[in-house]
Amino acid sequence: MRIRCLLLSMMSAFHLLASVQEDFPAGRLPERFMSYRITDRLNYSGEDLYDYINGGAELYLSYGLTRMTGCKYNGDGIPQLTVEIYEMTTPKNAFGVYTQSRDREERVYGQGSQSFHDFILFWKGCYFVTVYAQSVTPESEAAIKHLAEVIDKAIPATGQRPPVVALLPEEGLAEGGFLYFHHYIWLNAYFFIANHNLIDLDDQTDAVLAKYGDANARNYLLIVEYPDGEKAASAYQKLKENYAPELTAAQPFIRLEDKTWFTTWTKGNRLGAIFNGNSREETEKLYILTINHM
Amino acid sequence: MEKFITRRDLLKRTALMAVGSTVFLSRPLSAWAWADAAKSKVVLIRNRQLFGGGDQPDPAIAAQMLDEAVTTLTGKKDAREAWASIVKPTDIVGVKTNVWNKFPTPEIMNTLLKERVLQAGVSDENLSVNDRGVKNDPIFQKSTALINVRPMRTHAWSGVGSCIKNYIMFSPQPSSYHDDSCASLATLYDLPIVKGKTRLHILVLFKPLFHHRTAQDASEEYMWTYSGLIAGFDPVAVDSVGLRIIQGKRNAFFQEDRPLNPPAKHIELAETRYHLGVADPSKIELVKLGWDEETFV
Repeated sequence: MRIRCLLLSMMSAFHLLASVQEDFPAGRLPERFMSYRITDRLNYSGEDLYDYINGGAELYLSYGLTRMTGCKYNGDGIPQLTVEIYEMTTPKNAFGVYTQSRDREERVYGQGSQSFHDFILFWKGCYFVTVYAQSVTPESEAAIKHLAEVIDKAIPATGQRPPVVALLPEEGLAEGGFLYFHHYIWLNAYFFIANHNLIDLDDQTDAVLAKYGDANARNYLLIVEYPDGEKAASAYQKLKENYAPELTAAQPFIRLEDKTWFTTWTKGNRLGAIFNGNSREETEKLYILTINHM
Repeated sequence: MEKFITRRDLLKRTALMAVGSTVFLSRPLSAWAWADAAKSKVVLIRNRQLFGGGDQPDPAIAAQMLDEAVTTLTGKKDAREAWASIVKPTDIVGVKTNVWNKFPTPEIMNTLLKERVLQAGVSDENLSVNDRGVKNDPIFQKSTALINVRPMRTHAWSGVGSCIKNYIMFSPQPSSYHDDSCASLATLYDLPIVKGKTRLHILVLFKPLFHHRTAQDASEEYMWTYSGLIAGFDPVAVDSVGLRIIQGKRNAFFQEDRPLNPPAKHIELAETRYHLGVADPSKIELVKLGWDEETFV
């Protein structure tokens, strides 16, 4: 009996998953609402996304895009609306794309969102969602809010933020000031560090880069989780050799040629580094806050 | 062999450089290769009256800006002579524009370039303006001259979309240039359909896009009325100037160093790795004409 229940449950779950795959999300979007109706449907997977957004597709592909669905809404004399729902391989990748896009953290839609008059973006579960209007009118602003609510409710599952993000100290963290990623291209998102994959980032590593301090004097904190301590130690050696070979246990904070401070360390399978430290005191304080989290 | 570069390498080499000049410290390489090369001339022209308080550029002012930029660039005495030095009546001319629906080349620029090429004596049947169809366009296939025109914007994978990148539609497989955030875009200029043909690059900064939230984003919130055109013979120098302007605006708007994400490394590599032109500002003769407030360069 228990086995039969389990099988039925698994079949039901499979059926639900298949249904979601087929129908979600385009099937859940209203065909018509307010003065709008769907005029085009969007459905792209993998590299087909190039057909839709050319090279910009690489942003999503670098986070493991599964497919993008959505639609365009039009109406007489009103701004076009576009819904794009990017389905990623994991919730943490959806979260990563979200961190590439948002400037501040809100929680109006999904598990994190940012709203503008013409644009709403949010993440929930494996999905990164954008809803935007061609231009801003009171009607288009209300319409994109409505669609964001519909999509938010239609996505059944939430997902966890990558654990590495929890390692960031809250004190001094700039609002919306961190980025989660795997691909080395994003290592330079806030601050040029290297023109190559200096610290062996790949799909198996979770990296977070964060801004601390005032806008005119940022400190940048990098934390990377590797699959094991050996890989973390190897990346640490490469960073040390290429960035601050003079760094030692006796001299863990290095003042660079531009008078900023740098440090790097490992703890277990994690690598940490602070770039552009304004002073030794600030760098040391951020290091202590971080190491206590790690 | 090209060396991998870290920020520390740059700091060691450029210890006297202002740390805040993100656009240069954001660059992956600092060892500019052409120390003895002649300077590339680039003309930046702006006109505060271009939009005249409206949404659309004034065609007469746009024409005046284009002619003045080209005259200054060529060093000729007037626009007629300048255009005559750029295309000959016997040329078969392709104007490579950009039609991305959210941020296309302003139509007035396509119109003006067609007019100027025709006025230089090129016959109508030997002239085409195209973007996504260039590979199959008979005029482009047999072209003897190309003119490259597109608007300046940020880009989610290459940092910026500007003149170098505008030739990606000449590639049989554009996605093959995406590796390492489009580092090798300069090699587009080696494609047979392109090589040695480009007579003029025009980067349009009427209302440049200096930021995007997602790859598909081109919001007016992140455009500003710069009312400028950049003209040059060297796409790398043209893009280098445009890049500095975009970076300057980003820093001013966000009130902090806000590097392009990812950095537009293909512009510098176009010089240091592929030798297509010069990106180093010290190797560029920048001539600035017209409105000079908040020029950012």
